[in-house]
Amino acid sequence: MRFMRHSASALAFLCLYAIPLTAQNTGTVKGQVVDSSTKQTLAGVTVQIQGTARSTLTGPDGNYSLADVPAGSVVVRATRIGFAPRQQIVTVSAGSTAEAPFEMSPQASLLEAIVVTGYGTQRREAITGSVSSVDASAANVGVKTNVDQMLQGRAAGVQVIQNNGEPGAGAQILIRGGSSISAHNDPLYVVDGVPINNVPTEPDGNGWTGNPSLARNPLNLLNPGDIASITVLKDAAATAIYGSRSSNGVILIETKRGQASGGPSFEYDGYVSTSSPSRHLDLLTGSEYAAFVRTQVAAGKLDSARLGDLGVLWKTGPNPGDTVRTIYNTNWESALTRSSITHNHNLAFSGGSEDTHYRASLNYANEQGVTLSSGLERIQGRLSATHADLDNRLRIGLNVTSSRVNNTYLTYENQGGFEGGVFENVASFNPTRPVTYTDSIGTHYYEVGGLTTRNPVALANQIVNIGQTTRTLGNAEAELDLVHGLTAKINVGLDHSTGARQEYYPKANPLGRALGNGLAQQQSLDNATQTLQTLLTYDGQVGAGNSLNVVGGYEYSKFSTNLLVALGKDFFTDAFGFNGLSAAVTRIDSSDAKKSRLASFFGRANIGFNDRYFFTGVLRYDGSSRFALGHKWALFPALSGSWNLKQEGFMQGGPFSELRLRAGWGLQGNPGVDPYTSLITLKPGSDATYPWGDAPQSGVIGNSNGNTDLKWEQTSQLDGAVDFGLWNNRISGSIEYYHKNTKDLLLVVNVSQPALATTQLKNVGRLSGHGLELSLDAVPVSRPGLTWRAGLVFSADRSKVTDLGCTTDSLNVKNCPFYDSGPISGPGQSNTPAERVMVCDSAGSCPGYALGTFYGPVFLDIDPTGQQIFFCTAATTGCVNGKTTVRGGPAAKDYRVIGNANPDFTVGFRSQVTWNRFDVSLLIHAAVGQDVFNNTSLVFASRNQAAGGSNFLRPALTDPTAPNDPAIYSSRWIESASFVRLQNITITYDLNVPWLLRSARSARVYVSADNLVLLTGYSGLDPEVFSGTGLAVRGIDYLVYPHPRTITGGLRLNF
Amino acid sequence: MKRQFVTLSIRAGALLGLLIVPLQGCTNLDETPLSVITPGTFFRNEAEVSAALAGVYAQLRSTAPEGTIYDANEVSTDEIVVPIRGKDWIDNGQWIDLHNQTWTPNSAAASNFFNGAWNNAYTGVARANLFISSVEPVTVPNKATYLAEGRALRAFYYYILMDFFGGVPIVTDPTDHALHPRNTRRELFDFIEGELIAARDSGLPATWDAANNGRFTKGAADAILANMYLNAGVFTKDVAGASGINATGYNTCLGVTVRGGDACAAAIARADSILNSGHYALADSFPQIFRADNANSRENIFVVKFINKDGLGMGIDMAALHYCQYSGVTPWNGFATLAQTFNAFDPADKRRQTILVGPQRDVITGQLVTVRVASACPAYTPANALVFTVTIDTITKASEGEGPRLYKWPADPAHVQQNSGNDYAWFRLGEIYLIKAEALNEQTPGSGAALTLLNNLRARPGDPVNTPLAGPITRAMILSERLFELFGESKRRQDLIRFGQYTGRTDAASGIVGGKVGRPDYYVLMPIPQAQVNANPQLAQNPGY
Repeated sequence: MRFMRHSASALAFLCLYAIPLTAQNTGTVKGQVVDSSTKQTLAGVTVQIQGTARSTLTGPDGNYSLADVPAGSVVVRATRIGFAPRQQIVTVSAGSTAEAPFEMSPQASLLEAIVVTGYGTQRREAITGSVSSVDASAANVGVKTNVDQMLQGRAAGVQVIQNNGEPGAGAQILIRGGSSISAHNDPLYVVDGVPINNVPTEPDGNGWTGNPSLARNPLNLLNPGDIASITVLKDAAATAIYGSRSSNGVILIETKRGQASGGPSFEYDGYVSTSSPSRHLDLLTGSEYAAFVRTQVAAGKLDSARLGDLGVLWKTGPNPGDTVRTIYNTNWESALTRSSITHNHNLAFSGGSEDTHYRASLNYANEQGVTLSSGLERIQGRLSATHADLDNRLRIGLNVTSSRVNNTYLTYENQGGFEGGVFENVASFNPTRPVTYTDSIGTHYYEVGGLTTRNPVALANQIVNIGQTTRTLGNAEAELDLVHGLTAKINVGLDHSTGARQEYYPKANPLGRALGNGLAQQQSLDNATQTLQTLLTYDGQVGAGNSLNVVGGYEYSKFSTNLLVALGKDFFTDAFGFNGLSAAVTRIDSSDAKKSRLASFFGRANIGFNDRYFFTGVLRYDGSSRFALGHKWALFPALSGSWNLKQEGFMQGGPFSELRLRAGWGLQGNPGVDPYTSLITLKPGSDATYPWGDAPQSGVIGNSNGNTDLKWEQTSQLDGAVDFGLWNNRISGSIEYYHKNTKDLLLVVNVSQPALATTQLKNVGRLSGHGLELSLDAVPVSRPGLTWRAGLVFSADRSKVTDLGCTTDSLNVKNCPFYDSGPISGPGQSNTPAERVMVCDSAGSCPGYALGTFYGPVFLDIDPTGQQIFFCTAATTGCVNGKTTVRGGPAAKDYRVIGNANPDFTVGFRSQVTWNRFDVSLLIHAAVGQDVFNNTSLVFASRNQAAGGSNFLRPALTDPTAPNDPAIYSSRWIESASFVRLQNITITYDLNVPWLLRSARSARVYVSADNLVLLTGYSGLDPEVFSGTGLAVRGIDYLVYPHPRTITGGLRLNF
Repeated sequence: MKRQFVTLSIRAGALLGLLIVPLQGCTNLDETPLSVITPGTFFRNEAEVSAALAGVYAQLRSTAPEGTIYDANEVSTDEIVVPIRGKDWIDNGQWIDLHNQTWTPNSAAASNFFNGAWNNAYTGVARANLFISSVEPVTVPNKATYLAEGRALRAFYYYILMDFFGGVPIVTDPTDHALHPRNTRRELFDFIEGELIAARDSGLPATWDAANNGRFTKGAADAILANMYLNAGVFTKDVAGASGINATGYNTCLGVTVRGGDACAAAIARADSILNSGHYALADSFPQIFRADNANSRENIFVVKFINKDGLGMGIDMAALHYCQYSGVTPWNGFATLAQTFNAFDPADKRRQTILVGPQRDVITGQLVTVRVASACPAYTPANALVFTVTIDTITKASEGEGPRLYKWPADPAHVQQNSGNDYAWFRLGEIYLIKAEALNEQTPGSGAALTLLNNLRARPGDPVNTPLAGPITRAMILSERLFELFGESKRRQDLIRFGQYTGRTDAASGIVGGKVGRPDYYVLMPIPQAQVNANPQLAQNPGY
């Protein structure tokens, strides 16, 4: 009741704020809106008087009426999803009614006339490269923490693989399959024209029990609610303007800015959601496990001592026999996970005068992870202001985004996990044991006392692992029209982040004890990028239909990073946590600092003839401090053209409303090299320290061989495309084919000895790929009160490594080095690779395989004694009739290609049905033909595990393998992992509450579900996996953070 | 209007200025590293020279236990086997591949152990090359000693390469990145010999003070030379077979000419130089040589120094001890000893006590311990006691308690995690006795002087129970004595090759092979790892592989 009262007064206040004072001199505007093709009336069309807050919706008969419109000339604008917007100028006389009817034509996609491209904007029809736009508002549904999540399934050729289900988790973005082996494959992000140095902003956690969990997404600083548009540049013609950083594609992000039209506006957008793990590991329950042990003991297959492992033995009296055994039924997965709550609030207001526009926004997001002790909290503010002066010849703008992200980490291992990390113990901890128990001293976590078996709930709750990042991204720009069509622009950007990480492993926890009687670590990482851009742009018309657009510029960036690590071990108390490092007996500190610079000159010319033929030429000359002397500079050219067939006479009439052919070629670079890599360097540290007498003598050792030939990795890309629109753009789309070749691949290779380090970063090898992309937008249904819009993106990419520095020896035998990759996790799997880059057969034939090619023994069957049978060739030891049961697997020469982690194709399908005030949109994402190595099954689904006294996955109960047969990596554990996922479904209702609509321009409520349905034959937790470490590793699944299923309820208000 | 035009011009001019100013001087892309340094800014004074030398020494750690060099030396013989225990220790089949000598240039054992050995030893060479060439032009106090240490260390790293692979490219210039073909083993032998002699005679001290304990001495150079001379019958030959290395019979030093004359005589001369130096003495008791306080042992000649600090300690205990056997850390329960090797010891020989069998105790607390249940160590009851058996039924499916364990370097009572302060001796006086005895026995088969040396070694003052050997002395007795004395000290592979017994080793039944390993003769040389051939196609593979 009290809530109601407060709400009512708050609303009253808001209404007062929002309702403009009614002028005395007003009239009325009314009219009917119809579909231009069917001539049927259209309901639900928003009609607005530009520059005022006056707006309304058309009724079922398509009619609208707007009263209290100020007298004079006004612009009336009609908008409706699925139709091209229309506007007209109407003269309103005081006290009378003006007619403003509209005819609207349906349109498949919201094709904005002006598209953001590198260093400027271009008219859509003049673009000759491959550019995809993502509708930012449509993509921002459900729980979206960062921009990567908004791209999934929405742009052809863009593959987004979430690392895992952790809040704010990073993602692997592959545009056209990536083009690099060891250098990173992330695209370049450009926010408001300023390239972002997309490096982790928070120090890595320490992988005390395996490799550390992967870093969270550095782009978590951007609030998806502030993003106005996302443009993906894919081919070389479009990206070459970004030269050295363009080979993995470019993602241009423009943030929302204030607009004077429509008057001051105030938006609130908020949601609350609940998440829970979408799938579960199929582990035995406590009672099932107890039954299994008892059966096995009765059958004489397990030692009777194992009965003593079941449950907990309680002493009930003073005598030895006074005991009672309690068998618990603990589901460790449930104990570690939870239904989590996330809430997110955006407030924004914008407005301005004719010359000055502003927008300010504030975001608060609090996302709980679906496991204990994990989550993300973000407080973010953004200010954007633009001002025009000198009769609009000078335009200045300012954007500042500042965010504070507080991360809470579950300390889990990404790979390895030998020592008993959180998820390993979820899988293996005895389910007949309790999470906590109470004795005379109090309530404790149950621990078995062993060092490598640890209560996962205790690990989650007792270990403190948090991080905070403060990141400020700002740019200031000034643009001056020098003479007609010629504009000079300067843009200065600063990106500064300070990330801290604090970890404490208490003595109270067995892991903390094992690490040295309590371990504390504090880290601080400071990244700064300063960018300066100067641009000259000429935009002009030469006669009718001929256009010329030229951009030339200079860009200079400075990158610096500083890391400070302070570590203490051996504490006499847990009371200090990570805050009292001076209480530690042993202290180890270290630091690291790097600086680099990038300087560039670039130019682009776009020429249009007769509105039919368009040509674009790009040149970029990039210099990076990171490369060797004499190789620091490189030139990246591109050429492309398009032919607008629709302008030709023979194309008039017919179904095509748009038809264009495009072709382009260009060179792209990848500078994925750390600073100082080209130099021979010496480093200090424990590796360089040696005791003389009893005193450690600090020293230096060479840690890099340098490479005086180190240069850019270069990708050349050829692209051909057809863009089309049918039936007045009721259907529109593109079909694109590309072919790309990367040469001088940057790869860490073994170096001829003697050498200071065993490896060296070199330019070796080639990678080639080609692919097909299709995107389609359609308005299949457009009727009064009902519109159905649908979109489809399809991509197929085939790429392969064709050379890695093959040599021919003195006997003329071709010798191709290969690289084993994809380290397998689990006990007994050290030095076992799952993947191989560059597979050649014994005859020296190397047909070339994709990155992410699984390579290993071929599993055939299991023999009656429970031994695994593998394929072999006759020459190998123990090989009979092409079969071997040799434990440890067959000989290396009998290894074969056993899978491919890359999908044959991916499909994204989106659909939006608007029915009166309801709007139902959904996004389906599918990948077909990919394989995943189920490393979790290899370790936990074998009898071996069952015999070891640990819990296991249910398939182990029926596993015909003998308990003492070791777990061997083979094709047995490669699973087909095609899937179809209902990524998101959202139902929006447009509130038509009269008292609300008096003040609010729009009010919408929605419910949304993420990851609601997953159809897959894959037996693991999720077929979309990313395993972070190793060379070009793809498709390995080992005990990841569970992917959540999320239900969201939200409200969007616009005043 | 005019005023506005002026304002506009000023503003436009300022903006154009902004556009142009940054173009000046913003194209300089030279790099100056921050938290690492370049060699050109170092080696300016004695402190920096000495720091760089510490880095050359630091690579010695990779030659000690828990490194690929140690693994290759031990696991490829009858001293150590790493059985598959349940789901543990398969590790791509590398351990079985190594033990059963089934390796190829590309197999798991080669790509891990041999490639690791190659890289580790050559990294030491590279560090020494950079050190020597950087110190030569500067003037610092004690320069001769620093250079002598650098040269001696480089010679030792080359010695390891010669021992494993035969002849390898000799490169001494740090700026020489050309791809070199292999030198012959004899060339490499002569190079190492010359470098060690030069280092000994040009600056190595006879001893160091306590604060510098562990640095290279004249005695260390002599010990390596004595060992090389004893193995000269192997170390000067590039291939196995006729007129090469005899893979099935003894390879004598007699008749091999080295700089000091006949190799056997040269070995004796080097041994005598150590024995008569007055700087070394046999330890009173055998265990004393290996304890955490063994830095003071007068038996040490050339050691890898360890102290009980993070990253600077020895951790061999981790490989052999059971998971539940080392309070505070969790060992890996891997390395075991073959029954035949354990049984070869006289039970009365105290040296056998460095191998653990029977019911086991925590090495720190002395409490009886148990086998694991669900990766945990339950409370002790006699029923679940951990017992190390003498035999291993099948090395591909061993249980947790199977196999005797090497425990020669006991855990440091003051260990920091797995870091113990025990020094690891590459050469100690005990081996010098054995080298001299073996060379004497080659000169005079059945040599009484050789027998005396062996018996002196067996009769350490603290271990009087070792009964003297009865003569006449034979090669077989010397090989056995070397096993008893040097078990687990990286010597067995070299010994078996010299005695022609490496590839024909017979294991007690143990899994895949069981019985005679019986590999072709060429297995007395390790293959050049394929990764190295790929990096340097000039490297010719050892014949046979």
